[in-house]
Amino acid sequence: MASALETLMELRDDPYSRARAWKERTGGSVVGFFCCYAPEELLHAAGALPVRVTGENRTVSKAGAHLQSYCCSLARTALDMALTGDLDFLDGTVFVHTCDTMQRLSDIWRLNAGYPFHVDFALPVRFEGKLAAEYTRAELGLVRSKLAHALGQFDDDAIRESIRVYNRNRALLTELYDLRRADPGIMPCDQAVWVVASAALMDKAEHNEILEEILSDLRGASGRSDRIRLFGVGSVMDQWEFLGMLEDLGGTFADDDFCTGHRYFEGDVSEEGDPLDALTGRLMERGQCACKHTPDRERSARIVQRARACGARGAIFFQFKFCEPHGFDYPAIKKALDEAGFATLELEMEQGSVSIEQLRTRVEALLETIRG
Amino acid sequence: MADEKIKSPKIQATEQMKQLITEYYIDAKTTKLPEGSHKPICWITSGGPVEFLIAADVIPIYPENHGAMCGAARIAPGLAEVAEKMGFSRDLCSYARADIGGALTESGAIPGGLPKPDFLLCCNNICGTVVKWYEELARIFDVPMFLFDTPFIHVEKPEHATEYVRQQCLELVKFLEERTGSGFSLERFAEVAMLSVEAVDLWKGVLATAESRPSPFTCFDAFIHMAPIVTLRGTQKVVDYYKLLKKEMEDRVAQGVGAVHDEKYRLIWDNIPIWYEMRNLGNLFAENRACLVADTYTTAWAVDIRIEDPLTSMADAYTKVYLNISIDIMLEQLVELMERYEADGLVMHSNRSCKPYSLGQYDLSRAVAERTGKPSLIIEADMTDSRVYSEAQTRERVEAFIESL
Repeated sequence: MASALETLMELRDDPYSRARAWKERTGGSVVGFFCCYAPEELLHAAGALPVRVTGENRTVSKAGAHLQSYCCSLARTALDMALTGDLDFLDGTVFVHTCDTMQRLSDIWRLNAGYPFHVDFALPVRFEGKLAAEYTRAELGLVRSKLAHALGQFDDDAIRESIRVYNRNRALLTELYDLRRADPGIMPCDQAVWVVASAALMDKAEHNEILEEILSDLRGASGRSDRIRLFGVGSVMDQWEFLGMLEDLGGTFADDDFCTGHRYFEGDVSEEGDPLDALTGRLMERGQCACKHTPDRERSARIVQRARACGARGAIFFQFKFCEPHGFDYPAIKKALDEAGFATLELEMEQGSVSIEQLRTRVEALLETIRG
Repeated sequence: MADEKIKSPKIQATEQMKQLITEYYIDAKTTKLPEGSHKPICWITSGGPVEFLIAADVIPIYPENHGAMCGAARIAPGLAEVAEKMGFSRDLCSYARADIGGALTESGAIPGGLPKPDFLLCCNNICGTVVKWYEELARIFDVPMFLFDTPFIHVEKPEHATEYVRQQCLELVKFLEERTGSGFSLERFAEVAMLSVEAVDLWKGVLATAESRPSPFTCFDAFIHMAPIVTLRGTQKVVDYYKLLKKEMEDRVAQGVGAVHDEKYRLIWDNIPIWYEMRNLGNLFAENRACLVADTYTTAWAVDIRIEDPLTSMADAYTKVYLNISIDIMLEQLVELMERYEADGLVMHSNRSCKPYSLGQYDLSRAVAERTGKPSLIIEADMTDSRVYSEAQTRERVEAFIESL
């Protein structure tokens, strides 16, 4: 029988196969979402399976009629997946307000993709202070009522139960990252990042079981320790070939700030009190995305601190071409990392047109610089 | 000469407008008060609630307006290169790149560049880009930034969104009191809001004169004459100026004077102007007897404020602006604009620098055709970065489009 890790790795070749199977097996609703700020616990409490869509490596055929070529590949390829029927297992989609592109993609998706329901979660941009928290709490209430309308009623206890399942998942992923920070050799980074990404592609309880098994193998294991530790900065990381190459060249991400990586599972939700207050609390407190404004918490300080903590000697910025929020943050974060003594490399890419050979040369140069 | 015939008549009020804007920048650059201090300067986004600044006697400075000036003066690419050398990608908003370059080199369309800010007021009702841009300005100048956060409206605006913005008005008042060291007068604010409403009404009146055939002005004129409503609404000077401009336009209508000689086609413009190409484009359409009678851009400053409850109505108005609503709500406004101005077609500037304005245009152009039967032309360009623009290609496409009408 395949090991738990092997089972997960197989999913990487067909990321939505488990969602399709789940739908067939349970007859339940599958709901797509894009962003790690999506209120997954509410979807879970409503009995739906939340599934994350982050685009894929493909040449678009139908999305070009809706989105200009200067729109990022995440939006273009995701829309293409919807318009060509590749996401026909979805019963609805939840969009979260993050960047300008996602807000327009939400409009275009709602008007063209044709799924039975569509919910917008208009998160604030200012993530500081009482006003933003109150507004977020009210907005979550509205999302909850829209989901109840689309998927059926669910009570506070159901949300609390979902919070417990999700907290367990976050605790297990946190342990995985803790183990890797101590010894990144126990699991290559392409697998570690996929383990996190896969959490948003299948039933959470099942993912928890798989994680328990993976972790029981990893606890006490020791890996090769000669890899150069790097810190990954970016949003979505889905370039497995690139990560494999990084490992082959003798480097690894010992930790990251990807929204499909560490940012996905960072921060717990309180299991006490009003569940929407609790969900609001995590949204406000966790490390924020470049799309959010946190006056007193500069992203660069957090990234430098975390790069240090994982023993990294360098950092790689993995930037999507045309991504404004991360593009604007890059110079300040790079400067902070430079000043803290980290070697940095910025890689810009578009899904579907990644040239591994070009990236290889640049990664080699970075590793050479670090080796000295 | 044949060329003389197609030349648009000159708008007399332009001189007053230039003087108004020049005085405004001179005042802002020389605001030293006797005791050695100066009037506080606040950089603000184009969609920001400037009425609060005017009421607090703070000088508002608009990097976007300056960006447009740099674009028109064709110096934006050079300034953008400064930012690009720092690591800002060429794919980022060209206003932001030029402004960051100008801030760092103390240069731009105004000698010595824009006067430095004491604080920043960023309102994200026009885009999320301004949040990132102002964060960088806050780092460069090491000054505080107030983010006036206006939730995006997808289908409907919930009550809690208005309340969130209204509460921020109160926070902004507190922020201004701390920065200026003096109390905020609600009476003064009501006066300013009233002047703002008056100016906005006059501006709407100016825009409405273009409903006449022939239209007394084109959107290229509106792009220039919108400067006061963007920068100085809430002051008496602006009210006076728009009275003058409105009178001139009404006179033109009465005398049958058209901006385009022998106007035949009436078109609507969508998106921010291509600032470095305004003159050429204006001539190109005029040569083909096409008048761009209205646009979705200059109407963005035509918001309603109710004097009975200025804070709530301002919260509402500033949240509902054109770029902060979903494309199906935009479509209703666009169709209304097409019908009101009896337009024959729509010209859309697909602007690399502005995703909230540009993404969705393909869907909008199809929907407009369905609803009104009118065709669209999509021009690929950038509002200030001329490096990505092809004049020859645009000319060809504009001529083919007008021919198809």
